[in-house]
Amino acid sequence: MREILRLALTLTAVAVLSASLLTGVNIVTEPIIIERQEKDYHQSLERFFPDVDHFETEEIDGDQYDIVYDQDGEMLGIMATVETAGYEAGLIYNLAVNDQGEIKGLVIVSHAETPGIGDVITTDEFQEQFTGKGFDDPIEDGEDVDSVSGATLSTGTMIVSVRRTVTTIGENFLDKQIRAFDPTEVADGIYQGSVEGTHGILTVEVEIADGVIERVDVIEQNETEAYFVDSYPKIPERIVEEQRLEVDTQTGATLSAERIVSAVEKALEEAPTVENGGDDTDEGR
Amino acid sequence: MKAGNVYLQDLSRGIINENPVFRLLLGMCPVLGVTAFFINGLGMGIAATAVLIASNVVISALKNYIPSQVRIPCFIVVIATFVTIIEMVLQAFQPDLYEALGVFVPLIVVNCVILGRAEAFASKKPLLRSLVDGIAVGIGFTLALGILALVREVFGQGTILGPDPDSAIQLFGAGFEPMGLFGQPAGAFIALGLLLGVVNIIFKKFNIK
Repeated sequence: MREILRLALTLTAVAVLSASLLTGVNIVTEPIIIERQEKDYHQSLERFFPDVDHFETEEIDGDQYDIVYDQDGEMLGIMATVETAGYEAGLIYNLAVNDQGEIKGLVIVSHAETPGIGDVITTDEFQEQFTGKGFDDPIEDGEDVDSVSGATLSTGTMIVSVRRTVTTIGENFLDKQIRAFDPTEVADGIYQGSVEGTHGILTVEVEIADGVIERVDVIEQNETEAYFVDSYPKIPERIVEEQRLEVDTQTGATLSAERIVSAVEKALEEAPTVENGGDDTDEGR
Repeated sequence: MKAGNVYLQDLSRGIINENPVFRLLLGMCPVLGVTAFFINGLGMGIAATAVLIASNVVISALKNYIPSQVRIPCFIVVIATFVTIIEMVLQAFQPDLYEALGVFVPLIVVNCVILGRAEAFASKKPLLRSLVDGIAVGIGFTLALGILALVREVFGQGTILGPDPDSAIQLFGAGFEPMGLFGQPAGAFIALGLLLGVVNIIFKKFNIK
């Protein structure tokens, strides 16, 4: 008993010593690190918005959005500081968006992606494909931007996150509206849509009856099981409950959740619309 | 043998006879990971050396108070403390190097050179000798990283003192096509293998054991 106590006390003493030493060093270095990060941030700010005079900060969902103004109080755009899940640890980046909702540039502030693999997200080649894309672009892997094979998780997460940031900025600061999906416009029926999943195709089946989304089922998938069970059946439930596709996809399996939503989107895109008076069919084109 | 010679012996053993990279093949992860550029290799070597010296001294000083049953966790805590300090200091004062070394800085904790010296040397030997041993092994590690990184940078990039374009010196004319392989991790293996061969030849020639 005495022996065990001695061992425990030794370990505790070493840990306490270590912690106090680290606290001391942290007190000295932290202000310097913060000051340097602020300087870096201002440099990026000036790079993307050369006429920057001042900015106002707003926080949405824990992320920081700086609305940038020039000398005359004219809004130049928004600089977002967003934290998203990386492959190993959190990943923080700045996204500059102009007043038209177009991306001006992307800066990775900190990351812990695998050297030589996931750290392609820091390359100009990967980042520049976002430049000029905006609120009205899909910003979707394989559509107008590409993930990097071999680093699909790191790059795919970035693409999804940039899309979400651009949407948030557009909706909150630029009065943009997502083209809302209206189930009453879709003819009754059962529709299927597929997207590329983690290890294969993910297919959903959507049933529309009397202009209401009755049912969403994932009928084929090959997602990572441990993650997937979290997002299913939450996402179909949310879609049916809210009768829209812009549901919260933060489930712990965000990638799979986003895929379910895009598959439903695909299914409904291809669905025929209800003929209510033939409004846009005989315009004489 | 005179007392002073013990330190000299420790010094030459750490740098040459038991060079952690070229002779013991320890701590290969940073050796292969960060040696694409000379500056990064050197920075990694110096960071690891600082941790090694500090942990050797502290562990040697504490060796009589640490029960042998819990020595490994104690060593790891000591090493992790110094690594975290180095990480914070680098981030504050050498941000570019911190960015370049990235995840390899926290990985110094599990660099087996450091735990190896703590276990095999510092926990048994007096403080002053542990200090000398830390310096010697550190120099040996830094030297090996520097040489490997120099070879890789010259062949893989055609520069020295990169990747910062302000300090980079182009060694060859514009027509030079760098051997991209040496910039890659696989090229690090090949370069290390070739260097080990050269070192072995030299050791054989001078009959060093």
